[in-house]
Amino acid sequence: MYSSLKKTELINYKDLLIAWTSRIIRARYQQSILGGLWAILQPVATVLIFTVVFSYFLKVDTGNIPYIVFSYTAMVPWLFFSTSINEMVESIVSNMNLVSKIYFPREILVMSTLFARLVDFLIAFLLLIVLIIIYQIPVQLTSWLFLPILLLCQAFLALGIGFFVSALNAFYRDVKHVITLIMQLWLYATPIIYPISIVPESIKKIYLFNPMVGIIEGYRSVLLYQKIPDSSFIYSIVISVIILLLGYLFFKKVEMHFADII
Amino acid sequence: MTEKIILNNVSKKYRIGKSSLNIRTLFNPKRPETKFHWAVKDINFGLNSGESLGIIGPNGAGKTTILKLLSRVTFPTSGSIEMNGRFSALIELGAGFHPELSGRENVFLNGTILGMRKIDIQRRFDQIVEFAGIEKFIDTPVKRYSSGMYARLGFSVAAHVDPEILLVDEVLAVGDMAFQKKCYERMLDLIQNGTTLIFVSHNMRAVQKVCQRSIVMYRGQIAFHGSSSNATAEYSNILRKAATENLDLTPENIVDGIGQRIMTHEALIEHVEIRNINGTPSLSFESGEKVRVRALVKTSAIVESPVIAITIRTPEGQVVYDFTTEWAEIETPSFQANKAFVLEFPLELNLSSGTFQLGVNMAYKDLSRYYDRIDRALDFVIVSANGSRGISDLKAGLEISDDSGIIFQ
Repeated sequence: MYSSLKKTELINYKDLLIAWTSRIIRARYQQSILGGLWAILQPVATVLIFTVVFSYFLKVDTGNIPYIVFSYTAMVPWLFFSTSINEMVESIVSNMNLVSKIYFPREILVMSTLFARLVDFLIAFLLLIVLIIIYQIPVQLTSWLFLPILLLCQAFLALGIGFFVSALNAFYRDVKHVITLIMQLWLYATPIIYPISIVPESIKKIYLFNPMVGIIEGYRSVLLYQKIPDSSFIYSIVISVIILLLGYLFFKKVEMHFADII
Repeated sequence: MTEKIILNNVSKKYRIGKSSLNIRTLFNPKRPETKFHWAVKDINFGLNSGESLGIIGPNGAGKTTILKLLSRVTFPTSGSIEMNGRFSALIELGAGFHPELSGRENVFLNGTILGMRKIDIQRRFDQIVEFAGIEKFIDTPVKRYSSGMYARLGFSVAAHVDPEILLVDEVLAVGDMAFQKKCYERMLDLIQNGTTLIFVSHNMRAVQKVCQRSIVMYRGQIAFHGSSSNATAEYSNILRKAATENLDLTPENIVDGIGQRIMTHEALIEHVEIRNINGTPSLSFESGEKVRVRALVKTSAIVESPVIAITIRTPEGQVVYDFTTEWAEIETPSFQANKAFVLEFPLELNLSSGTFQLGVNMAYKDLSRYYDRIDRALDFVIVSANGSRGISDLKAGLEISDDSGIIFQ
């Protein structure tokens, strides 16, 4: 329909992606006393609650890794995943005034939401390194080479879901509520606050359908057990790439209706 | 020379009323019929580089829809649009501005939204700030800006994008006169340097100043296409012609329930029109013109000294003038049953140029109920000779004197 300038488009809008990401981060911590510290406080508080519950009331066996390190290792990537999805859902709707008035590639709104949360993830990850040093957990730097791959894989998965749900939410606002609910349940369907060893064999087959299992277990293998991720991570990579592609295609297919439906 | 913009039979259809499904419509066997409205229909035009086109027309004629289609915010239902070149759209000033961020940060944000590269913005940063005239406040959060400063910075960024195609909506009305003049000069500058410009405005003088050619939109279609000065004249003609077309007052034809009637029907307002001094009905008047609003009323019961009122509103719903016999302490006579009456209100239309809505209603003596009430009996247009703006025309002039007396009148 339009003879457009597709080739130069993404290069031209790369700066917008950066500017919009920094807008989200700055706006988030503007007029806040603790600022970027919140990136650490949120996972720490969550982990402390579970530490109290699972180390004192209900003992969970995490081997020779202290529970607090065990769960924090998983909680940091999980919170990156869940908060970014919860925010991506609304990224189109909350910027409707722009979407209905100005043209720019709409996926920038979704992607920058993810990137803004990536910054929080990196801050929270620094504390994880501190914990690993304090608790004298052995470090094997060669397995750490898998960290970027794990991060990329989880970002792909989150972004794919983000594209899908942000577009759907523009049409039906119910999606936002459904996603909040799903993310709450998903936390318990993933080995974050408990070790995968307590999952009963009978449901393990279904349990492993969850692509986040391979990713979270991957982080633990690399950071706590000096091992490379096991084969379930390959499944996670495949699923993440498929979801990203499908999510993006869906998004591009319906984005032309965004401005008309508010 | 290649054509920069080509529109080929472009039409855009919108759905009216409640969109999409919800639980109630899902389980309702009788789905309400979806109604559609053609915002624009069969639009054709082309522009070369360095050409400019004005788009004028009354509210709801489809001007903004054309801009949105051109800027790829929305897509045509049928037809094709070709845009050859980098474009920038001034549809909303300061799009994406974040109130907590400084003017400097917002320039980069806004610039990148408009498709600029960061290095391009850096290179032109001083120019942008200077043009907006807010050097002193560039590191202040924009939430502390006045609306004028905000708009100036917004225009300044957009005008420095250096587009091959620039689309400008009526956003300039916000700035002060000196800044508006600067904006027009900037637009002329850009045209001279080969930019293709499309300018949507109510301000016909501005359109004449900036654009060689113009189109007049009416009810989603191009009613006239030609030189800007002819278009301005044609615009008034089109409005007059529209006045002679029969205005349908049946409720189904009035969208969005604006013309709702809440009443007992013991007296019905059957027809409303505005007649000019020669006694001919019209919908377009000069500012200050003396007219008579005529309403035909039929009674089906005895109507005892009703309260009769007329209201004039802006399209945004603001009441411009409200006259009721109650406030004016006029004791109206009683009306016999089953008869027709003509109500006439002499009016002096001291209004500035723009579109207005006329409403007429008749209420019970104790104001407990309406006999009949039409909030939007008709829309009429005021053409102002002196170019003043606002809502009312207070007929300002100018006299200058010094110690020797009046030196200018």
